[in-house]
Amino acid sequence: MTFTTFAWRNLTRRPVRTLLTSGGVALAVAVAVSLGGFNLGYKRAIDGSIEQLGFQVMVMAKGCPYEAATMMLKGGTGLLYLPENAHTKIKNDPDIEAITPIFIGIAEKQGSSIDDAPAASSFTILSGVDAPSFRVMKPWLAFKKGPGYDSGRWFAPDATNEVVMGFEAAEYEQRKVGDVLYASITPNGKTAPVMHAFHVTGVLERSGSQDDGTVFLPLTTAQRIFGREGELTIIGIKLREFNGIRMREFEGRWMSIPEVQVVSLEQVKGALVSLVGTAQTMVAAVAVIAIIVAVIGVINAILMSVYERIGEIGIMKAVGAARIQVFRLIWTETLLICLAGAISGCLLAVITAGATDAALRHLLNIGVTQGLVRITPGLLGGAVLGSVILGLLAGIWPARRAANLHPIEAIRANE
Amino acid sequence: MKTIMRLVMGAALAALALSPSRSAAAVGCTLSNPARDLKALYPEMTSYREDVKELPKFPQGRELYEALQARVGSDLDPVYEAFDTPYTLYSVFKGEARLGYVHGVNVPGRGGVIQVFVSADPATAVISRLFFQRLESPGGAALRAKETRAQFTGLSLADFYKHDYYAAVEPGSATDKVAQLKPPAELPETARPDWDATLRGLRKNLILLDIFAFDRRHEPVYQRAEEARKKKESKP
Repeated sequence: MTFTTFAWRNLTRRPVRTLLTSGGVALAVAVAVSLGGFNLGYKRAIDGSIEQLGFQVMVMAKGCPYEAATMMLKGGTGLLYLPENAHTKIKNDPDIEAITPIFIGIAEKQGSSIDDAPAASSFTILSGVDAPSFRVMKPWLAFKKGPGYDSGRWFAPDATNEVVMGFEAAEYEQRKVGDVLYASITPNGKTAPVMHAFHVTGVLERSGSQDDGTVFLPLTTAQRIFGREGELTIIGIKLREFNGIRMREFEGRWMSIPEVQVVSLEQVKGALVSLVGTAQTMVAAVAVIAIIVAVIGVINAILMSVYERIGEIGIMKAVGAARIQVFRLIWTETLLICLAGAISGCLLAVITAGATDAALRHLLNIGVTQGLVRITPGLLGGAVLGSVILGLLAGIWPARRAANLHPIEAIRANE
Repeated sequence: MKTIMRLVMGAALAALALSPSRSAAAVGCTLSNPARDLKALYPEMTSYREDVKELPKFPQGRELYEALQARVGSDLDPVYEAFDTPYTLYSVFKGEARLGYVHGVNVPGRGGVIQVFVSADPATAVISRLFFQRLESPGGAALRAKETRAQFTGLSLADFYKHDYYAAVEPGSATDKVAQLKPPAELPETARPDWDATLRGLRKNLILLDIFAFDRRHEPVYQRAEEARKKKESKP
């Protein structure tokens, strides 16, 4: 019989205690893995969402760049506008690989209420774009195919009543190519909304980004219907070579334009990551406490097991078992409990990843569309390895206590 | 220990099977705030129940979908009114007593989706209130007006089927309640398609409600109307 089999049999003599101790370890591991998955997933989600903007640098009106960037990622109201001539000035910069001007506005939906009272209305994001340069920034955007969608195309630059709808915007309004879309827009300086009827020229495939919920229309049309001719929300820029030095040089050249600021999406990413830093620290503290409690639980359970079997251990030593053999037996038991707990905890974290993601998304609504929890094989391997190391450390004291027992005293103590 | 391990594995597999997943199915129509909205419709409500109904899960789901198409009287949109569209039926209770049903459908309007909801009496299947949850139209205010919607109170699916009969056999009959429905006078011409879409949505809603809640009790009326219409059409 091997040590492992012997240890396993000892553990199965008290199945409930073994299960509860192992369950404590499993919970701690699940929390730790979920937290690790959140760290990995959140950073990747921010990366993905920013990548899907298509540009690395934004020129926007002076104000809070992070707030503006978050609005770009998740939509919102209260945007600031910059003069369009900034685009004219910047577009010939030699470091620019691609540049696109964007105007964002909000269309208010007519409110309906069940009880005849005026109801709160919802919003649709309208994005005025220069289709040729916008498509260069986002080459992955493609038109949906299938009955009702096949003839999708971008609008003509000077079209006054054509729109392209993002996947979810079309689904929400149940629009297809050739349909009409109403949008009520309150022009700048006016109080009453004006309803416009647009023809849908195309519906985009799902991209997993904010574009899915957006209605695109020609830039000049958007500026006109919002009463903001000559104004932009942002200028998206892709540099030929993107690094800190190039970015600072570029920023230095264009920060001189009044009313505008140059923001790197790397800066935005850093700010968004730091936004959840406090929450991550708190969850990490909970995970550390859970791990400490689990380790104490393991030590306690193994010590109880040693004291219950004190007579047996005495007999083992009396018939010739060496100290190292007794030590190894108790150590193996600790290791098995921690290993079982680690594997169960990893399984639990993987199974509940969807629910964890939904809960985090509910708590931290900061505009990323991709998964917030990313559990990788490396993370799971690390969790199992960490649990094994902690198990080995936790097992030292009970194993030493068992190994140091004097056989005669141990047998007598058990009588 | 083996039993415990089996239980753990079973629980893990069950949790995996029940974990949420993204569906690409057709979009349904649900109340945005059921507790608030149903309380507004039925102030005496003490509880409510949501039942998601999907035709594919009915024993003869495909036949029911074809029947729906025939009874709506126009083609169902293959994308947004597809076979697998889920519908949510709300049952409202006061204690054990059922106060009513509330059911809504999506119907394509001219410039966007229209969500037409009705509340219906559980005994008579008669509409107690019609309301729009979503409606974007140049005639939105006129269509939402209390007076416009009040026309629909007291109607049932039988009235729509009888309308088919009267339209074929006795046009202009004074007992044809549906023919008496009139769009609001101030409705702009551009919003006329939204009035038509409302009627179509209401009819679709009542047909589905008849299937989901009333065990197709209005079917004989439909059959008689169809026979009369066919007889009329076959006459030289």
